[in-house]
Amino acid sequence: MAYAAGVDVGSTQTKAVIINEEARITGRSLIDTGANVVLAAENAYFEALKDAGVREEEIEYVIGTGYGRYRVTFGNTQVTEISCHARGAVHMFANTRTVLDMGGQDTKAIQINQEGEIVDFCMNDKCAAGTGRFLGAASSALDIPLDDLGDTALLSERPVRISTTCTVFAESEVLSWLGKGKKIEDILMGVHQSIAKRSIGLMRRVGIEHEVTFTGGVAKNSGMIYALEDNLGLVLNVSEESHYMGALGAALFALDHIQASRIPTADSTEVVRSHGT
Amino acid sequence: MNVRVFDSWRNQPLKGVLYECRELLEDIDYPSVRRWRQHGGKVVGHFQVYFPEEIVHAAGMLPFKIRGAPLESIQADSRFGSYLCSILKTSLELALSERIDLDMFVTHPICDAARNLAAVWGRNFTYPCQILYLPQNANSKHSVQYLRDEYDRLKRMVEEIAGHTISDEALRRSIAVFNENRALLHEMYAIKREMPWLISTYESYLLMAVGGMIPREEHNALLRHVLPMIRIRTAKRQDRIRVVFEGGFCEQPPLDLLLMVSQSCYVVDDDLMIGLRWIQDDIPLEGDPLYNLANAYLENSTYSPVQHDLRKPKEKMLLERMKGSGAEAAIITAAKMCEPGLEEQVAYTYALDEYGTPYFVSEFEENMTSFDHLEIQLETFVENILFA
Amino acid sequence: MIKTVDPEIVGRGNREGAQLFRRWFAELDGAALNGGQAAYVFVMGSLAEILRVFDLPMVFPEINSLQTAIRRVAHEYLNEAEDYGYSPDICGYVKADVALQLRGGDHPMGHVPKPTLAVLTNACNTYIKWAEIWERMYKIPVFTLDIPGTRSAGGQTWAGDRDFENDRRYVVAQLKELISLCEEVTGRRFDVDRFREVLKQTSRMNQGWKRVLELNKNQPSLFNAVTDGTVYLGVANGFRGTAEGSQYFEQLVEEMEYKAANHIGTLTEEKYRLIFVGVPCYPIFRRFNEMFTEWGGTFLTSTYLLFASGGTNYGFEYDLSRPLDSLAEGLLISVRNAMDNMFYQDQTLIEMIDDYAIDGIVYHPIKSCRTVSTGLADNRRAVMAARDVASLFIESDMMDRRVVSEAQLKNRIDAFFEGLASRKQRQSELTT
Repeated sequence: MAYAAGVDVGSTQTKAVIINEEARITGRSLIDTGANVVLAAENAYFEALKDAGVREEEIEYVIGTGYGRYRVTFGNTQVTEISCHARGAVHMFANTRTVLDMGGQDTKAIQINQEGEIVDFCMNDKCAAGTGRFLGAASSALDIPLDDLGDTALLSERPVRISTTCTVFAESEVLSWLGKGKKIEDILMGVHQSIAKRSIGLMRRVGIEHEVTFTGGVAKNSGMIYALEDNLGLVLNVSEESHYMGALGAALFALDHIQASRIPTADSTEVVRSHGT
Repeated sequence: MNVRVFDSWRNQPLKGVLYECRELLEDIDYPSVRRWRQHGGKVVGHFQVYFPEEIVHAAGMLPFKIRGAPLESIQADSRFGSYLCSILKTSLELALSERIDLDMFVTHPICDAARNLAAVWGRNFTYPCQILYLPQNANSKHSVQYLRDEYDRLKRMVEEIAGHTISDEALRRSIAVFNENRALLHEMYAIKREMPWLISTYESYLLMAVGGMIPREEHNALLRHVLPMIRIRTAKRQDRIRVVFEGGFCEQPPLDLLLMVSQSCYVVDDDLMIGLRWIQDDIPLEGDPLYNLANAYLENSTYSPVQHDLRKPKEKMLLERMKGSGAEAAIITAAKMCEPGLEEQVAYTYALDEYGTPYFVSEFEENMTSFDHLEIQLETFVENILFA
Repeated sequence: MIKTVDPEIVGRGNREGAQLFRRWFAELDGAALNGGQAAYVFVMGSLAEILRVFDLPMVFPEINSLQTAIRRVAHEYLNEAEDYGYSPDICGYVKADVALQLRGGDHPMGHVPKPTLAVLTNACNTYIKWAEIWERMYKIPVFTLDIPGTRSAGGQTWAGDRDFENDRRYVVAQLKELISLCEEVTGRRFDVDRFREVLKQTSRMNQGWKRVLELNKNQPSLFNAVTDGTVYLGVANGFRGTAEGSQYFEQLVEEMEYKAANHIGTLTEEKYRLIFVGVPCYPIFRRFNEMFTEWGGTFLTSTYLLFASGGTNYGFEYDLSRPLDSLAEGLLISVRNAMDNMFYQDQTLIEMIDDYAIDGIVYHPIKSCRTVSTGLADNRRAVMAARDVASLFIESDMMDRRVVSEAQLKNRIDAFFEGLASRKQRQSELTT
């Protein structure tokens, strides 16, 4: 049995995924990136190996992705996280036409065609509004753990309207609503709605088409799923592996390489598409 | 067409009229335009700053001044990039969200962003969308003739939409209606200058801005109704500084911002919706009406950062505006991302520095909702002058 | 298949372009130090056709500004202008020039003379505000040649049409006023024979430029529309109306024809043929292009070469028997063409995709320039609906390093090429 690996080095967190020849996930890991990016990539990789119960020698191909993709020193090649998130999403949900990836620092919208190829993409990485960072600001302002934000927001009956577009000022707006006596859940849902609307604005630039797959760390947030579905009028695909989607996509591309190198005449440097799930 | 689209102000006291005006200005379903349409009327949307509305009026159609909206540009946003003023996006949003339905759309070469609007609008709608090329060389001896011919081109286009020709007589009648409108607006501004305690800039704005969305005859009736009431208002003169508000020539500041400013100062003159008051004196009714319209645009007009005329350097015109209205300070604003506005701010501030005139510089966005920062800064500015 | 490459011809355009450029700047430096006259003009309608008749040295502030970015000192100039009061949100070219003026014309390439006169068209509204700055600073005459553009998509009018003739009358009247102004400023009489000569040279250059652009349809393409194109543009603007300028383009045609005949392209392996829409990213000029060439992508053509040459790519030929009328007609058509290539360029792009066998379009809207950038997102939708070609939309600036993030650009560019590679792979699978 051959194995492929994908390592997604983000600015806040690094994820690694190991898959087998049948494209099934056998191991995964998630750690904070920290200051030493090269080390983070290595550590995530080794933890995923441990989780999979696989030895390093059994991995035939490794692909690095994320902003730190060139720091995956042990990787065979790099692929952008845009391509990887798209690949992972289509692998999990074959009818995906639009991907929304919401990370800690950036958000991307990707449009995919029938062949599973990227037609267009749009990223918001200049400004933290519309990204997980906004949630982080709310979490610290309200002193509520990040993981509890979504469930708390779902209790809301009358969400407030958050008007600031800047994450830095969002904190003061949240506090000002608290001061006016608004309930925490209403403020939180307002924050979620604000992020949802900005992300949907991003999605409109590439065109929103059913089915929409929601990936990235923030996809675990039930409040965000609600806010997005509410504003889109669509049900979203959300996978248990949403946090690992980038690393999964990278591992799938790595598997392509392994399979291509087994075909005698194929050029192994080309990115070969595999339509299997 | 003999339909009245805005009636709720009739027989009301001043307060009631102001309330109805605000309601209409904030109603993003544009009921006045809708009613016009329901009676079979046609609508020509025109963008800032100035448009010769008489030509559309003479064809029996409604000239509708598009000046942004208190909307979220959900669909329009994806059609534009970043670093752009809000007015462009919200204006397109009005149309994309089907809140207004036009028979034609016209924009002008006021700035580089607006010049793109005709192309973007035209790609998204099937009705004619075009640029009316108002001259940017106001100092050529041929400019008036050129503009007259350009107005003729517009007139031919409008005739096609209307389905009939526009006679010179019809044009003259329309010019008379608009002459009256401008005279009434100038009268209101004269009251603002002489007795600013009788009408705040927030109030005069409400009364003026509705003009862009209703038939001018109705606007004239409204103004004729309120001006006498304003004159006899019992309002006490207060110890407020007299200022000129500059920067509202295209994207409009939010109503609540104007309200906030009105509460700190007497705004004795401004460039808000200046397109409605572009022409200073009555346009003559004898002779070639198109020529007279063209001539008035160039020779009988006020100023703006988007018109280039060597005879009217903007900073000189600002100082004249201040002198003419007895203003002691200026509020120099610009809409966010407004290139002409932002560039003019530099010229204005340097000129005001030279004359030792106090001024307050700020930026606004049409749909901003919180003014706390602005309010504190403005109050501090006002206090400094009062205590100086 | 290359036997021996003639080292004289290949690369001649770039070498001589650079030389001409240095010479031009040396002349301006001289004029600055002698306090000589100079006209400040712009690329979209420089009116060289009139100004050359008066031997007025021409300064292109847009080119001065972009040079500060290429030479990596733009941020100093921008900071100075912003300290002076200009907003971060306005055109970077304007701000760099304001700082240049505040420094008395001190430029990395030498000294730039003060303006005696400024001549502009309305092709860009920022030109108008820019000239107002010089008017205040130096109290100089500023002439705005108003060239009415296309009124609506597909609504271009031509000689003989009623509306075109109205516009032409206006332009002719203004040209006469410009000529009077130049006579007053220079103290020289307008020489109509000299005028015909200048027009003749301009016609030659127009033809040459048009041909050079067409030749790049070749497989492989012969020059990079962004890196090489900027050099050619510099000559097209700086030497318009001169014999050297026209000769340069005739030689450029010869170079390209030679390259075509000998299959000499720009890359070792040209994998992806691209269009560049917008203004180049001057702060990281070479690196920006490398991010594409690393993947085997090269730019065959660009709307930049069209509008920033004032529409001379149109190839207008002046009728010397009625020079002033013909100049008016030429300006109306060419400068309008420049404006159309910024506002109404979907049809042009669709034709380019077909004519140049294009794999992808790169849209590059910039913070500084609303003229070029405002309509790009919508334009892209229209083009993508009409043609099945890949496109990339990346925002940065042509002057301001602060909004140019190489890492972010590379991420998007890499993703674009990953998609292109996948697309090519699928297309070849379909044909095998």
